[in-house]
Amino acid sequence: MLQAFNFAFMAEIMEIKNSWYKLFLITLFPLASFALLILIFYKGVATELPIVVVDKDKSDLSRKVLFNINATSTVEIAYRVASEAEAMRLIKASKAYALVSIPSHFKRDIYLQKKPNITLMLNTQYILIGKIIKGALVESIMSSAGEIEYFKSLQETQNSDKSIHSIMPIGLQVTPFFNSYKNYFLFLISALLPSIWQIFIVIATIVSFGTLFKRGEEKQFFAGEFITMKIIGKLFPYTLAFMLLGVLFLFFIYGTLGWIFQGSWAIMLFTLFLTILAYQSVALLFFVTGFDYARSLSLGAVYTAPAFAFLGVTFPIESMNHFAIFWRDLLPIAYYMEIQISQANYGANIFLEIDNLLSLTLFLLLIIPVIWRFKKRVAL
Amino acid sequence: MNFFEVLRAEAKLIFSDIAIVLTIIGGVILYSFLYPQPYANESVSSLPVTVVDLDKSDISRDIIFKLNATPQINVVREDLSQKDALEALERTLVKAVIIIPVHFKRDLILMQTPTIALGADSSYFLIYGAVLEGAMRAVLTESAQIKVVNLLKNQMPLSGASLAYTPYSINAINLFNKENSYTQYVVPAVFILILQQTLLIGMGILGGGVNERCKKGECLHYKNTSIFYIFLARLIIFGTLFFIHILFYFGFIYENFDITHIAGSLELLSFSLLFLTAVIAFGLFLGSLLSSREIATPLVLFSSLPLVFSVGFVWPVEAIPPFIHFIAYFVPSTPAIEGFLHLNQMGATLDTLSTQTLILLLQTLLYTCLAYIIERRKKSEKFYDIIT
Repeated sequence: MLQAFNFAFMAEIMEIKNSWYKLFLITLFPLASFALLILIFYKGVATELPIVVVDKDKSDLSRKVLFNINATSTVEIAYRVASEAEAMRLIKASKAYALVSIPSHFKRDIYLQKKPNITLMLNTQYILIGKIIKGALVESIMSSAGEIEYFKSLQETQNSDKSIHSIMPIGLQVTPFFNSYKNYFLFLISALLPSIWQIFIVIATIVSFGTLFKRGEEKQFFAGEFITMKIIGKLFPYTLAFMLLGVLFLFFIYGTLGWIFQGSWAIMLFTLFLTILAYQSVALLFFVTGFDYARSLSLGAVYTAPAFAFLGVTFPIESMNHFAIFWRDLLPIAYYMEIQISQANYGANIFLEIDNLLSLTLFLLLIIPVIWRFKKRVAL
Repeated sequence: MNFFEVLRAEAKLIFSDIAIVLTIIGGVILYSFLYPQPYANESVSSLPVTVVDLDKSDISRDIIFKLNATPQINVVREDLSQKDALEALERTLVKAVIIIPVHFKRDLILMQTPTIALGADSSYFLIYGAVLEGAMRAVLTESAQIKVVNLLKNQMPLSGASLAYTPYSINAINLFNKENSYTQYVVPAVFILILQQTLLIGMGILGGGVNERCKKGECLHYKNTSIFYIFLARLIIFGTLFFIHILFYFGFIYENFDITHIAGSLELLSFSLLFLTAVIAFGLFLGSLLSSREIATPLVLFSSLPLVFSVGFVWPVEAIPPFIHFIAYFVPSTPAIEGFLHLNQMGATLDTLSTQTLILLLQTLLYTCLAYIIERRKKSEKFYDIIT
């Protein structure tokens, strides 16, 4: 039995050695994909986002408001134009993300206490960018208002505490929970890397079995007994390779980016292992639908490509509809992510992870119909 | 072979290949329903929030009332202690905890600027942002009210005080995607990528398969047919099929999922044609390059996530390393997503998209030429000597 495993394992190692494609599937391709995604988000914070301003007042006060806006690190006044229509053209061409418009007689109206309006127009098609810019602009403009008010009030009261209170009678202190990461995008990366990783597991598995069948060598390979052991032996080099890749991205996320991993590495390694086996089982299930290499790749693509959207990382699971949750339940990576997050954030003990670990284990049952199909196929 | 024979032979090759059909028809239809699902009943309004009112004064009551009055916040429970409230947050019963401190009213009268604490689940920026906006709005309204009352105490008439509590105000307008809908944000961009990727996989399987057979000496009709005919046949077959897909996506699916589609149909369709020809040219190039049927799917699959994030609609272009953005411009989806979002979501006109149009045209030209050169070299026997 062990001999059959050894035979299949060594044969696959030789295959990988002799085929640059198979080798790249477990080395260069996944590493390059990881690197690309990391590079895209590496900057972590968005700075100097271009905006356009229309200053119809051109007074010292309007200039002060605009100066304070330009002083923020988030936005940069890239254009100053005369009319809103012109500004809208820049926004529609994505040259600027937002417009700040200061009305004429702005200064006069402030002194006459007529409460003039500063208009912000934001490109909220790009929700996240829109939110970042809106936050920065509102904060800057309101603090300019505070400054103006403070000096006005100080002249009357000569008491700075009282003046502060008269500007901002109630304070608001905000504490974000459950996302102790340095910024949102490092959080995104922690889910993107596993999402890419699961694609490679499925593809590598299908490629390994697909090439064997395509060359018509399956009968020779499975000749004799112990078909199950040979399947496992053939899969095992990839199981190891993806363990390594998994450890690598975990190390990158929690080792180099400086997030504190509060959980148990033993649980995490076991989870990685189970997830790989789950995906290998699913990939083989796709393969045995017709033992057709190209077709099972198409199935694997449809299954793995949209997984990221269903993880509930960018969008909350509680807001998903029944179908989305059903589809999510069919993805091992969903259970994996829950364990990764709960381990990293609050180091849950193994009993709290039992549900997710059991769900991952259930995928392994798929190997039963797979073996049955293999036996029938090879016996023909 | 004359052109119509080539067309028929190509069509037969494409539609009798289950792997291709599964992708260019099955995949396109499945994705169109699957992909918008997670966001289908999104709601970032009326988010459940708990309040811990340690002051229990008329003013703290008024603040809770104002919180509840914002569209973003729905006060679903009141807890007696901070501990209970945080537990509710941990059990995801609520999205945020708002704590009004003891002596809140007293401090307010003593002008000591009491502070309300807000703890919010920041796992999702949409929810976090909405809770924050709601809480800010409630606090600012209450503050303004207090300021007006203070001004009234200083003998200012109400008409003056209601304007004088702040030097100026902000009127913020969301220009596009006004409701901050996640569907509107993600789906229109991803759909363009789906169309491109399925088309590329289909053409890649086809091209790779032909190369594979030719290597084995079963060159079918390819050996003695004009390359131009083959290219034209593929343009017609894939072009027609994906033009129908585009009509299905922009028409039926956008309508079905309530996605904004404000572009003029003529402009939308002309830009779609530009996009399709660029992708087909890229597909011809890819197909001429691949050595087997099975390489296209993995290759296209791996590129999907990096491609979607290097466009700049999720994460601003300004923050993406310029060389990545530059490389991404060699793939049709990058200028196409920019263009379609501007046309259909932001109501821009085609004349403002000259850059995107030019890039798509250049891609069409570049990839058609490259594909042609490669196919020409294959026709000379020498090429086969080199690769085998």
